[in-house]
Amino acid sequence: MSQSYDVIVVGSGPGGYVAAIRSAQLGFKTAVIEREKVGGVCLNVGCIPSKAMIGAAHFLHKLEHDSKEMGIKVKGDVDVDMEQMQKWKQGVCDKMSGGVNQLLKGNKVTIVQGDATFKTTTSIEVKSSKGTETLTTKYFVVATGSRPIEIPGFKFDEKDVLSSTGALAQDEVPKKMVVIGGGYIGLEISSFMQKFGAEVHVLEAQDGLLTGMADPECIQVVQRKLKKSGVNLHFGAKAKSFKKSGKSLEVTFEKGGKEEKIKTDKILVTVGRKPNSDQANLKGIGLAIDERGFVKVNEQRRTNIPNIFAIGDIAGQPMLAHKASHEGVLVAEVIAGKNRVYDAKTVPAVIFVDPEIASAGWTEAECKANGHSDLKVAKFPFGANGKAVSMMETDGFVKMIADAKTHVLLGVHIVGPEASNLISEAVLAIEMGARLEDIALSIHPHPTLGETMMEAAEATLGHAIHIIQKPLGSATKRNGSGARA
Amino acid sequence: MAKQDIKLPEIGEGVTEGELVDWLVQVGDTIEADQAIAELMTDKATVEVPAPTGGKVLELKFNSGDVIEVESVMMVIDTDAAGATTPAPTKEEKSEPAPAAQAPASPPQPMAAATSTPQTSGTGMDVYPPAADIKVLATPATRRLARELSVDINQISGTGLAGRVTRDDVLAKSKTGSTSATTAAPTLQSPGIPRPAYQSPGGAVEERVALKGIRKKIAENMQMAKHVIPHFTLMDEANITDLIELRKTLKPLAEQYGTKITYLPFVMKALIATVREFPMFNASIDDAAQEIVYKKYFNVGFAADTPNGLLVPVIKDADQKTILQLSQEIVDLATRARDGKLALDEMRGATFTITNIGSVGGNYATPIINHPEVAIFGMYKIQERPIVKDGELDVASFMNYTVTCDHRLIDGAVAARFLAAFIKRMENPGVLMMDMM
Repeated sequence: MSQSYDVIVVGSGPGGYVAAIRSAQLGFKTAVIEREKVGGVCLNVGCIPSKAMIGAAHFLHKLEHDSKEMGIKVKGDVDVDMEQMQKWKQGVCDKMSGGVNQLLKGNKVTIVQGDATFKTTTSIEVKSSKGTETLTTKYFVVATGSRPIEIPGFKFDEKDVLSSTGALAQDEVPKKMVVIGGGYIGLEISSFMQKFGAEVHVLEAQDGLLTGMADPECIQVVQRKLKKSGVNLHFGAKAKSFKKSGKSLEVTFEKGGKEEKIKTDKILVTVGRKPNSDQANLKGIGLAIDERGFVKVNEQRRTNIPNIFAIGDIAGQPMLAHKASHEGVLVAEVIAGKNRVYDAKTVPAVIFVDPEIASAGWTEAECKANGHSDLKVAKFPFGANGKAVSMMETDGFVKMIADAKTHVLLGVHIVGPEASNLISEAVLAIEMGARLEDIALSIHPHPTLGETMMEAAEATLGHAIHIIQKPLGSATKRNGSGARA
Repeated sequence: MAKQDIKLPEIGEGVTEGELVDWLVQVGDTIEADQAIAELMTDKATVEVPAPTGGKVLELKFNSGDVIEVESVMMVIDTDAAGATTPAPTKEEKSEPAPAAQAPASPPQPMAAATSTPQTSGTGMDVYPPAADIKVLATPATRRLARELSVDINQISGTGLAGRVTRDDVLAKSKTGSTSATTAAPTLQSPGIPRPAYQSPGGAVEERVALKGIRKKIAENMQMAKHVIPHFTLMDEANITDLIELRKTLKPLAEQYGTKITYLPFVMKALIATVREFPMFNASIDDAAQEIVYKKYFNVGFAADTPNGLLVPVIKDADQKTILQLSQEIVDLATRARDGKLALDEMRGATFTITNIGSVGGNYATPIINHPEVAIFGMYKIQERPIVKDGELDVASFMNYTVTCDHRLIDGAVAARFLAAFIKRMENPGVLMMDMM
């Protein structure tokens, strides 16, 4: 039996399901193949469940630390019921996954459950408990994603050695946890586990956390707060092996040429993710794959086989859900014969640590590397923002970087409360080619965290209202409105 | 030997390419940092390209007349040539073939295959137009419009603030037809204009010189304007005896402010006041959209004769400037035009233009409209003539004027009424006071 389609999307994560829905909207007979749950890693064992846990931890933290000062008295102990929390978290994920399921059905996309193996450039075999079927299609969209990287000596069993998936599914809070890798996933999990009461040790091979992932000054704020809250950070530390004796684990790591040991209950390995290009027989049908394992694609996300497209984590960095979704829409429209390319200027990145880090555009170093030697850079602190003060969350700042001559915005780096929700304004500004004045002159509502964006733009121009800057002397040249508007 | 590629640096805001007028150095020359190595023509200004570092010239990658894109390798130099020759490390020797294999051959590859069915290499070279460079300032919607019109947005010099590529820029580029993408050399040639060859009669003494630089640009612009716009010209004269008196009294005043006051700023003021009554003179026709664009701002271009040819500096927002400010700006722009020091932005965005050819000679002329404007005004030399006033013979001073219009938008009777209203102002400069805002 062979079903025939116009478009088959392999993988139903935030890239795949979006590609499938847009394909169906454009009138194609579309199917999506999923081996696990609809929504992929993002909805089921990634972005969404981790945000649920982080949200709960934040709530607990406020209850324990801020409520007293605010005048809210808690009678009796505040306790974490991890089993209930898992149920609640699962409810959140199921709701999201169910929603995607409905959207796919509503758009008449066929959902095929099972493990996919490419047979030819136009046919694919899907195996499930119900048996094996072969589907044929005119176009394929490969959206099979990525998985956590394993390191030698620490094989994932999701009991002692956890990947991010296992860490999000813990029924009880471990007393002690060793986290190998101080990247964004490791730190997000470390932050909430610490708040739930675990003693957390982070082993990071480099000299600092999140190296290369965010603005160095933003990282500093988070690093300081992690330390203050009691997370143990070990830099230049290379995990070697672990031993199990009874219920207890002992991790051996090398630091400064010496071997050290820590006892722990759980080990979490978060050293990065790798594309799933070794699966589904992608190589077998001749898809070109680069040395880092990404499927090679052009600006339209077309592979070396003209009727096959690849999107999301498998098609290259950055491995972020929102980039995958953007590509999902793109390929569906390319398949429909529209002239489209991937030409977004920036992909925003958010790290849900405490406080959150969010960025769009370039860092100062990247600006210089791209030929902007003369920059205007300034920061506006959340401590000077009324809403942040009333929330008791004043750590952090908004930093803006613009070309000194044209005032065109080049980068925005936020560390602070709701940074994740504030960054979208920066993305729009960068995509529109906005100048600092465009942000400074747009009225931002009061009292909101969003005012920090306007103030940061003003600060970068040299004259924020709510921080003290040098007076505007006659020497201050304002390169304001140009010849013509 | 340390080979170094010299790339064409950024030569102005929003400028993505330039036409090589001439090399100022030859292969074998030893050059110093900051020495001018090439003369390059962009839009309308000719600029000298400085060398970023010193060395010996090994190879020139382009010929006169070629269009060079910013960031493309224009020459190769040996940076060791100046100092002692140091033995090259083997590592560097090895690295040489690799870039050679990757670097595009100096004549850019034709992109003819681009629009046909995709032949995917997986290296991303097969989509036309190419994706917008990260440095291109254009909104996502504008980028998409350019793509749908098959316009390479990287090739547009944006007219917006800070070199922003606007929706209008994309539509204009789409209209000029340089989108066929068959050759990499983007000339502004409209597809419909024939290019007949000139056959030399046998034995005639002639000299052939390349049509290039500002001359080529003028040729293209004039041809396009004449091709697109149906021109007509109306002529009249004004008795400006009173204006001459007024100028005489203002002259010493202006000198106190260190500037020379000519008739041009008075003409500008009278024109702007008249154009307010006749908005179709401050408009453009968007042929692609089939729309008339009425402009609510007044940027006045004035033709300047320079050693390199005709240039048209533009006074932005001229309606908001006093006669004194206009005088100062005219002197400044004209001086810098002659010295070849105008910025590109100072020659863009005129909403109508004045030619003052009369100061050189001629009673009347029929100038060519500076597309996409729809009118050009001429002012000519002042002559004393006998007139009969109150039954007596008298002497008065006259200046001749012409208005040349785009007949698609402006009818003959409208032009006649316009010219009459303008002349009334020139004959009674006091009326200009009434127009003051």
